[in-house]
Amino acid sequence: MTEMATDVSQTREENFPSLEATTIPKLFQIRVQQFGKRTFFRQKHKGVWQRFSYDQVYGRVKEFALGLAKLGLQFGQTLAISGENEKELFWAEYGVLALGGKAVCLYPDMLPNEIKYILQHSEARFLVAEDQEQVDKILAIRAELPLIQKIIYWDPKGMWQYDDPMLMNFAELLEIGRVFARENPDFFEASIEKVKKDDIAVISYTSGTTGLPKGVILTHANLLDNAYRVAMSVEFKPFSQYLSYISPAWGTEQICGVTLGLVVPFELNFPEKPETVLENIRELGAEILVFGPRQWESLVSMVQAHMLDAGPVRRRIYEVGMKVGKEVARERTEGQKINPIWKVLFPLSDVVVLKAIRDNLGLKKAYVTVSGGTAMSPDIFRFFHAIGIKLRNLYGTTETGILTQHLGNCFAPETMGKWFRSHPDFGPPLEWKLKDSGELLARGGAGFAGYYKNSEMTKAKLEDGWFLTGDAVTMKENGELVFLDRVSDLRRLSDGHMFPPQFIETRLRFSPYIRDAIALGDASKPFVSALINIDFDNVSRWAERQGITYATLPDLSQKREVIELIEGAVAHVNQLLEPKSQVKRFVNLPKELDPDEAELTRTRKLRREFIEDRYKGLIRAIYEGESEFCFELQIKYRDGRSGYVKNNTRINFCQGGEVQ
Amino acid sequence: MKVDRISLLFKQVMALTEISLAIYDGEIVSIIGPNGAGKSSLLNCLNGFYKPQTGDIYFEDKRITHLSCHKIARMGIGRTFQGIQAFLGMSVLDNILVGRHIHMKTNVFQSFLYWIWSIKEEVHHRDVAEDILDFLEMAPMRDAIVGDIGYGLRKRVDLGRALAMDPRILLMDEPLAGMNVEEKEDMARFILDIKEFRKIPIVIVEHDMEVVMDISDRVIALDWGRVISEGTPDEVRKDSKVINAYLGEAEH
Repeated sequence: MTEMATDVSQTREENFPSLEATTIPKLFQIRVQQFGKRTFFRQKHKGVWQRFSYDQVYGRVKEFALGLAKLGLQFGQTLAISGENEKELFWAEYGVLALGGKAVCLYPDMLPNEIKYILQHSEARFLVAEDQEQVDKILAIRAELPLIQKIIYWDPKGMWQYDDPMLMNFAELLEIGRVFARENPDFFEASIEKVKKDDIAVISYTSGTTGLPKGVILTHANLLDNAYRVAMSVEFKPFSQYLSYISPAWGTEQICGVTLGLVVPFELNFPEKPETVLENIRELGAEILVFGPRQWESLVSMVQAHMLDAGPVRRRIYEVGMKVGKEVARERTEGQKINPIWKVLFPLSDVVVLKAIRDNLGLKKAYVTVSGGTAMSPDIFRFFHAIGIKLRNLYGTTETGILTQHLGNCFAPETMGKWFRSHPDFGPPLEWKLKDSGELLARGGAGFAGYYKNSEMTKAKLEDGWFLTGDAVTMKENGELVFLDRVSDLRRLSDGHMFPPQFIETRLRFSPYIRDAIALGDASKPFVSALINIDFDNVSRWAERQGITYATLPDLSQKREVIELIEGAVAHVNQLLEPKSQVKRFVNLPKELDPDEAELTRTRKLRREFIEDRYKGLIRAIYEGESEFCFELQIKYRDGRSGYVKNNTRINFCQGGEVQ
Repeated sequence: MKVDRISLLFKQVMALTEISLAIYDGEIVSIIGPNGAGKSSLLNCLNGFYKPQTGDIYFEDKRITHLSCHKIARMGIGRTFQGIQAFLGMSVLDNILVGRHIHMKTNVFQSFLYWIWSIKEEVHHRDVAEDILDFLEMAPMRDAIVGDIGYGLRKRVDLGRALAMDPRILLMDEPLAGMNVEEKEDMARFILDIKEFRKIPIVIVEHDMEVVMDISDRVIALDWGRVISEGTPDEVRKDSKVINAYLGEAEH
């Protein structure tokens, strides 16, 4: 251990708010009593936004819970939920929590074999599924799920011909609940009282990039602890418009939507369909948005794509406006003094350009915007700050909860912000330390409750009560955390230097001209180089404007001008890296990386080993210092036929990248 | 619906000769045949565009042979057309509302005033239209202009407009023409859904044999204006008369 354990909250004497409740159902009940007629949920139905007051939500949640109790769900048993974020999903979750049950949410696009494992492992007794698509997935594997008693669906479309006795309409279950409520008027309220703060609320399955998914236990205390960490650090206006978009299968939404939504509280809005999210954000004037970096990236590329199509005059106005915005934002993000001229120009460019962009993206009213999950490209981060959106990075793990976020007025793009404080009622203060490898260890708060039915793995991840995050980070002197990579993903060059390949790849990808990038370098290689998959759409558009003629992607990728263009992008990323981690050589691949050829996963993640094997001849040529390589590759077409690509590929040296 | 020995004559050309057929509740019937066999003419007779010179057509035990097409439409015979017949300049939602017009009761003056009855009626029709949008998975694009959306989606708007009439039988003229494989699969699924959900019979004129054979309960083959074969998809597929009509008579 290189550093002493560091207590995050030096200001212990500070006042903490008193907790209103220590379980989610209790807090839910309190909010309903406080705000009865106020809007809690909002969802578009038949093209019109429908409101649901606290009383109405309470009614549905109660009916659902009682219906489920009548069907036989016992205290501590599991309900699985599979579907998009809609009101029924939240009714079901609040309902099962009130019964003292466990909720397990599934990603709507999960495959049957993944679902099977999770349902078996979590011992799910009932399943709430959105529609025919979700129901069909479960019916296909039902023989292997003997514990499942009923599948309850809320969208009856396409289900008219299903007469399986295992299926039940959501409305039917609510009716059963209403009848049960008449016979047992106090059952629901009594049940809420039985739930204790250390009971399991949610099992959140972490996507297993290696091996089977692990079920992280989130107790009521865990969820509330996390929600209070945020609520104590960010100034929320009560009843802010929150758009629930990220899936509750991910712990972040369990904290932000399900729990923080009650703590603050928020008005929870559900998008009509996943593809209408952008439209819905605008209609609602969403005030609080928590997205993954991918979603923020897609907003930026949408603006950039629109601007590529705009006329020269408009584009010029946009560029000037953005320039002013970026300069002014630099004072905030980088903490540098800026030339006052930019501040003088700012109000004008705000009115002409920046406000219009905010409005178009529907971010006019957004005052808490958070990017959670993996590291985000600083350029995207700066983009949002330039248009006046104070985007904040959030860092955490499902096991320990959220740990750091840009708080107050610090927005350094390369950091994940400062440490949260945890409410003392949930446990000791948050603490961290770093191992020699750069790995972050954390403890405190309600703490890591373990993996469900996997004590071995739980033990492996704990070291004297410290949780091993597996993330390589550095801590800046001002207490901000910089996320580099997963420790297991850092790679060692032949001279022992550790470099962060994903860090390099993410940042290369932000160039509009680069679609994918693979950073090369391992113990047999003395320096870092990169394989680059150009973004054909954007590069071809650029080439047309420059008057460059080309035939196909292989031809375009090897044009001298295009290589210079990419070299510029690589040099930009190199500035962010220490010299030994910089990319010294790169190659523009003459074909696109393709999931159909197993080079990418379906979610467009790189399959590194496969790629390195496939292109091994090219990679050898790079490290032998050749300037050109002719490679042949078998490729598969969509329709299953296959063919050969044969191409001369140029190997490019970066400026200042000569290797001794 | 019953067709009793109808014949249709264009000047000297016999387009349809003594055709008799029946369409039963809740079935999908496909009419196939080579080009010029009389498929579309038959469909046009069913919804009153063409008037057969002889023979009769009955719908729900009423003779409709000589009724005008708008009266036939009001009786509950809906249809979609070849190509795109939607209003390109209007939104998806408005196109579907157009299909509701036969059910609209307020007159021009009431609409101008836009008082209780017209508001109520508009809400009701919008409600029905939204159900159809949801059914066809087009709800998120309700405000898109039809001219801006893809061909496969425009065909779906066409279908939506026909459904908006609340038809008791649906006639579809080449619903799959010009679509790619994915769009065809979608449309085939919607056709099956309509049968399941609305429980109405559907008559399809279509060239795409693969889909026709997959989704039809019954197939009727025409050639030179006559019914040459009728039965389940399998029976028709194996019928030598049908094979000959498509491939030409074998040399003897």
